[in-house]
Amino acid sequence: MRSWFRSYLLLVRWTALRMRFLLPLFLIIQTFLAVGIVIGFAYLMPEVDPATALYLSTGAPTLGLITIGMVMAPQLVAEAKSEGTFAYNRTLPVPRTAVLAADLTTWLVTGLPGLVLGLVTAVFRFDLHLHVSWLVVPAMLLVALTSTTVGFALAYALPPAITNLVSQALIFISLMFSPINFPADRLPGWLQAIHHFLPFEHMANAVRDTLTSPAGGAPALSFAVLGVWCVAGLAITLRVMTRRD
Amino acid sequence: MLTIENLTKTYRRGVRANDGIGFDVGEGQVIGLLGHNGAGKTTLLSQVVGLVRPTSGRITLLGRDPVAEAAWARTVCSFQPQAQAPLTGVTARQAIEIVGRLRGGGRKQVRGRTKELLAALDIEEWADSPAERLSGGVRRLTAFCMAVVVPGRLVMLDEPTNDVDPVRRRLLWEQVRALSATGHAVVLVTHNIAEAERTIDHVVVLDHGRVVATGTPAALAAGREMHLSLSTPADPALPGWAHTPRREGDRLTVTLAAADAAAAVTWAGQHTDRYSLNPASLEDVYVGLTEGNHDAVLVP
Repeated sequence: MRSWFRSYLLLVRWTALRMRFLLPLFLIIQTFLAVGIVIGFAYLMPEVDPATALYLSTGAPTLGLITIGMVMAPQLVAEAKSEGTFAYNRTLPVPRTAVLAADLTTWLVTGLPGLVLGLVTAVFRFDLHLHVSWLVVPAMLLVALTSTTVGFALAYALPPAITNLVSQALIFISLMFSPINFPADRLPGWLQAIHHFLPFEHMANAVRDTLTSPAGGAPALSFAVLGVWCVAGLAITLRVMTRRD
Repeated sequence: MLTIENLTKTYRRGVRANDGIGFDVGEGQVIGLLGHNGAGKTTLLSQVVGLVRPTSGRITLLGRDPVAEAAWARTVCSFQPQAQAPLTGVTARQAIEIVGRLRGGGRKQVRGRTKELLAALDIEEWADSPAERLSGGVRRLTAFCMAVVVPGRLVMLDEPTNDVDPVRRRLLWEQVRALSATGHAVVLVTHNIAEAERTIDHVVVLDHGRVVATGTPAALAAGREMHLSLSTPADPALPGWAHTPRREGDRLTVTLAAADAAAAVTWAGQHTDRYSLNPASLEDVYVGLTEGNHDAVLVP
């Protein structure tokens, strides 16, 4: 266990060193995205009522986490695969789980500043009063973890070129066709049904309900569905990481 | 230390990369694995370090099975892969030190050893520059340092001198000898046969996934220790002592046993006054062995 932790810390250091030039870039992209949703999307609507404002403000950080986990992370994993980093790491005497844990840690930390900035922008723009529950921390962690593990699973299982295409498609699906920035009942019935199984709506619910603490309490179902996606993502990623030709 | 028996690897698409390979590597021994591109050298190393699963056959490393215990195998075996090491965003020194620590070295020990290696390979001036800006040769030397900073009992180097300049290649060979002097076994894949000759104790020649010859460089060269080169446009009938004839333009070369040297000089003098007789290099032997003229040390 001690050697696992030692490997983990060293790998975090290595990954952080590798990514330190990209970090400011991620922060800018995430902030643009959050500001774009909060301010830009409001232009699409003639009048922003409090309910819409709430959806936009809590949707923005959710989308920020999805962008980091399902777009940026898989694209960098795809690049690492093409560059040979993935193959090289496989030759090192470190547990595969430590490699995965170190990568996840780096990505979670990467997403944090943009998340906070997005929220702050929204609160100022709409003059929102949030009732933040303590569950917001586990909720955000779970959303970030799920989107990153699903992103990793895609990137490890698919060839790099396909990974880039899929991750681009995912951002459009989550931005336009997922009930993140708007209520689910605006979607056609069949799409609503699909979203019961996909992680996007549950991610939005987990973030929104822990930021606003509605009467119904924490969204247990959303937490459970996200947990399943998270475990599936982890399982696929570890399977690919430990596979031998 | 490492025993490979009847090792066969057939990939899913049907390519047989290794076909019944067998050889031994002892402590402190430097084994040269020679062969054309696609001869199965990289596949062989990948199986020892647990990245590729053998189809059949057996590998024994320090009395244990590295196929079943791949995680353990990676702790006793250092590997420099053929692909360039990932150095994006780090300096050469950082990369070497982090890998040294990951291989279990202490902070001080790794720092000292890194400094020593950078000096020994004469790449200190680039040690603290961003590694992605370094030349291919310096990157390759950095990858070599990453593999040997805290060396495992078995060190496997897949073409460590690619892109490296001749002076630093020599420095690298010295480091390989230093590893063997401290009891580490080294398996070396290289195309720089002429240079590696002085470093290698034992040669294994692979061709199309099979071992076609094995032995010390001297044993492999037995019967063809000399190399005769003569300039003649004609194709004279070759005497019985001449092996592996090759022609490049006007130049005809053959290999022969040392005992036939006098006869060779007489024969060459009859055809031209421009000829030379030299000791054959391992490269001459290798070319002969892999060209289908397997008339020497053949492995059954």
